[in-house]
Formats: sequence, C-alpha cells, structure tokens
Amino acid sequence: MSAVIEARGLVVDRGRRSVLRGVDLALGAGEALSLVGPNAAGKSTLVRALAGLLPAARGEVLLQGRPLAGWARSALAQRVALVAAEDEAPDRIAVGDRVALGRYPHRGALAPMTGEDRTAVARALRQTEIEHLARRPLGTLSAGERQLASLARGLAQEPSVLLLDEPASHLDVRHQLHLFRILDDVRQRGVAVLAVIHDLPRAAAWAPRLALLAEGRIAADGPSAEVLESEAAERAFGVAIRGVPVVDGPERLWRFEEKS
Amino acid sequence: MVARLPPSPRAGAGGGAPAERPWSERGRRLLVFAALAAALPLALLAALTLGSVPLPVGGVVRSALARFGLGGPSPLPEMGEVILWSVRFPRVLIAALVGGGLAAVGAALQSLFRNPLADAGLLGVGPGAALGAVLAVNLGWAQHRFLAMPLAACAGALLALLLIYAIAHAGGRPTLSGLLLTGLAVSALAAAGTSVILVAIEEFRVRTVLFWLAGGLEGRGYEHLALAAGFVLPGTLALLLLARPLDVLSLGEEEAAALSLPVHGVRIVVFGLCALVAGPVTAVAGAVPFVGLVAPHALRAVVGPLGRHLLPASFLAGAVLVVVADLAARSLGQYTELPLGSVTAFVGAPYFLLALRGQEGRG
Repeated sequence: MSAVIEARGLVVDRGRRSVLRGVDLALGAGEALSLVGPNAAGKSTLVRALAGLLPAARGEVLLQGRPLAGWARSALAQRVALVAAEDEAPDRIAVGDRVALGRYPHRGALAPMTGEDRTAVARALRQTEIEHLARRPLGTLSAGERQLASLARGLAQEPSVLLLDEPASHLDVRHQLHLFRILDDVRQRGVAVLAVIHDLPRAAAWAPRLALLAEGRIAADGPSAEVLESEAAERAFGVAIRGVPVVDGPERLWRFEEKS
Repeated sequence: MVARLPPSPRAGAGGGAPAERPWSERGRRLLVFAALAAALPLALLAALTLGSVPLPVGGVVRSALARFGLGGPSPLPEMGEVILWSVRFPRVLIAALVGGGLAAVGAALQSLFRNPLADAGLLGVGPGAALGAVLAVNLGWAQHRFLAMPLAACAGALLALLLIYAIAHAGGRPTLSGLLLTGLAVSALAAAGTSVILVAIEEFRVRTVLFWLAGGLEGRGYEHLALAAGFVLPGTLALLLLARPLDVLSLGEEEAAALSLPVHGVRIVVFGLCALVAGPVTAVAGAVPFVGLVAPHALRAVVGPLGRHLLPASFLAGAVLVVVADLAARSLGQYTELPLGSVTAFVGAPYFLLALRGQEGRG
C-alpha cells in the first residue's frame, strides 16, 4: 500500500529542544491509526508537523509522495485537515458558518461559495450528524456537539488525511462512541485518519493499528494489542500493562498497574 | 454503539427556541440592515436641520434637490444656504465618515484580537495618532503639506498597533486584561510623548495643535471632508474585502494556519488598513472614544460575527452614532459646543463597563 502521508526521519525543534528526534511513520488511504504516548512525548508536535504547521529541522514529511515544502499552502489544506482538542471559534458564530470556513482552502478570500462548497458543507454536517444544529450559535452547544462541529469543519475541507489531536478528551463516553463511529465512517470512505488518543483502551479499541511515540521517536508500531502489551509501552508509560482476552470476542480488557 | 444521539438537553437553551427556524436569522439581519439604512439618512437630515439656527426640513430637502438641478430654486434665505452648505453639510458627512470608519476598524480589530471588547481607542491608536500628528506640526511638515499631518497620524496609529500586537502576543494568545493593560501602557507612552512635544513646541504652532487636540468637528470644512472620505471609504472597503480572512482568523491562529491562511500577513495588512482609517479620522476629529467598541459589540449579538455582515452593519451604526453625538455636542451646550469625544464617552464608557462585567462573568 502506498502511503498518503509519511514522515521520514522527521526531526522537529521547538525552541532549542528537539521534540521529535527522527520519526518514521506512514499512513495509507482508508487507514486508521491511534497515536499514543506519555505526556510530552511529542504527539501534538507530530500531528502539527504532519499538517505542515511546524517546519522539519531534518527529515521530511511526504504527502502523496511529495515533500510538504513542495505543496502550496492552499493545496495542502485541501488534502490535510487538522482538528484540535481546543476549539477557539467565537461563541456567536453559527455552526453552519463555522463549518463553511473549512472551504477557505478551496475558495480563498474573495471567490463566492459555489454549489460544490455548499454540498461539501451539507455532507460534513450530515456525516457528523449535526445538521439540526446548523443555525445554532456555537456557544449554545455542549462540549460534545462543539467537538463535532470542529470535526465537521475538517470534513468540509474534503481531506485525504484527517489528523485529530485528542478529539475525545472533553467528551463523555456516549459522545466518545459517537465520535469514533463517525471517524470509522470517514475512514471507510478512503480518508487516512490519525488520532492522538490519551485513553489507551479507547485507542486500542478504535483503531486496528497503534503507534507509540516516546521521547520523540516511534517506539512501537503495529496491531494495537501487540503494541500495548509490548515492553516498549511498559517502558514508555512506566506502568505494567496486561491485556485480558474477553471470552466471546477479539477485544481485550486492559489492566494498568503502577510499577513498584 | 449509539445509533443516533438525541438532541442534547441543552438543545432548547436560549429561550426555548426550536432548532428549525430557517428564516429567523436572515430575517433579523435584514431587519437590522433595513433599520440602519433608514436611520442614517434620518440622522443626517436631523443633523442638517437642527442646530443654533434651525432650518425647515422641507427647505433643506428642496435646497438639496436644487443643487442637483431638480425642482425649483432653493427656498432657503441666503444665510440658510450658507449655514447648510458651508457649515453643516461637510460637518455632518464628516461625522458619518468618522463614526463609520471607527466602527469598521473596531469590528476588524475585535476579530483580529479575537476579543469582542477590543477598540482602536483602548488599544492606543488614538494617542498614537495624536503623537504622530503633533510631531508633524512641531517639525513644521503640516504647514507645507496638507496631507503631512494625517499621514503622520496614520504612522503613529500603526506604530501603536504594532507595538501592542508585539507586546501582547509575546506570551501566546493575549488575554483581555493583558490587551487592555498593554493598550493603557502604550497610550500613556504616546500621551507622554505628546506632552513633551507640546512643551517644546514653538508658540506660533500651539494654536494648530490645540485646535486639533481639542477634537470635535467645529469649523471642519470640505478639505477635511475630502481627507476623511479619501481614507475612510477605501480603507473600509478594503477591510470588507478581507472579511473572510478575518472570519478564518477568528477561529484561532492554529486553525487559521491549518486552513492555509497566511496569519501574520493578514494581521499586518489589517493593522495597516486600521491605521489608514483611524489615523486620518483622528486627524480630522480628534479622539472619538468608544464608537469602535459599542457599534460592533452591540451588533455582533444581532447580525452575528461574520465580517461580511458585521463590517457593513457596524459602519452604518457607527455613522448614525457619531452624527447623532455630534448633533448633541453642538446642541446641548448653552453657549459653547461640548467636545464630541466627551459625548461618545458618556454613552460608551458605561456600555463598556457593563460589557466588561458581562464578559468577565462568563469567564
């Protein structure tokens, strides 16, 4: 499978410190990947570097085989969408208008919205199941609905790569399930979906593939259960991790214990 | 797995309005625009007719028509003609341009700083412009070139904005208090500079400076009107063309950058346009505080935060506000005019305090 987006020996500095120290990671079309790692491992930095928001000090990020530097900004934003945990949009903006701003990379500053744009916005609202909220001001939404509006903005970009930084961190379990089901739909339509997920069982349950980032490098990358049970994961998180197979399914229950 | 989420319990928040109200927002917006579009000519007409020498409404209208060669000759006496066309007409239009320009700049700055209480006055633009203008007078530039003072005011305003931007953004996203305090410090700095220049200024130039620093629209004529129109109209139009980038920017720096917006470039261009409008406005009318805050802040609640709605609505509302404020300034005083800036401050400062309390209450 050829990768849609790929980091090769990616080194990213923040200030004088190298946060990423040679990351190799590739994602194919329609593939879902959970990115996990302890605090300050560089997960957010990696996501932002993949979106072209942070420059590579060494190494490179390839989008459809071409280095990010070779992409025009708008062309890049038509293909890669980033959805962050924090939504800083103004409270008074209507959900539909907020989602429509996702068409900016396609339309630019002056060109009027076309039928194509309206279709994309309507589809994004439908996929995230918030059509009924389209006219509501963002400030009247719950945290879960607000996160869906953020996601809808990303989908309105019609990206081939969707990057999410802790999309579920503010959500209760019902909204989490809802969100990850929507991400599954998106992936099945051929979009490569990479999500930073703090909650390890959730990360393992959502994506078949899991990448562990520790100290600025990919410490493990593979089937979710294998990665979580790996020694690398125990070392990275500093806890004992054990997966208990459930009787009637492929899932596992996870146990975490502090190491004495 | 959850099949489909029922509407959240908060779905009915905001007066229990149902979710489906297809016409309400657009209808409300149209209503607001219609009201503003009707209010502006009414305010202009009122300001043309009322004053120390009242002119009849019909006479004013027919005199205006006569200017365009319509209807018969003007029914006004010669004195009335002079008052109407040499004194009131330029003054009233300047008031509209000053108000509209300041309100549009306020709306743009509020989007840019992502703070609904940002305003050119609070951000030290006025004092910055004053410093530039006084400097131009002191150095004698203003004597030789009419445009020297307004351009120097532009430069001062731009400098103040850039300074505040650099300081307030040094530690990431600026908080409201950080922004206001930085504005306060930059204002104080600019005012201090102005004072120093005033002390050192040559005596024959003091009159020019005092006339200017006092603010207000008394004695402003067609050259001032041309100056205000020449900067305010193109500047506001350019801001309107940047409405969508401003909307994207209001989503936050990171999201804007991820949507391919050149964040810093847009900010610098918007600052430049704001200075281009606010500088000459300050040069013509002196400090007219709070207009740029009140108009867009109040309208945001009814027309929404999108620039393509908020900027034109703010322009109209600001124009109405200052036309009425200037009418009040020259009507309320018994023997002398009140300063225009004081009138807008009497209205704007309490509004600002209430809005500030509201915003801090929300956290």
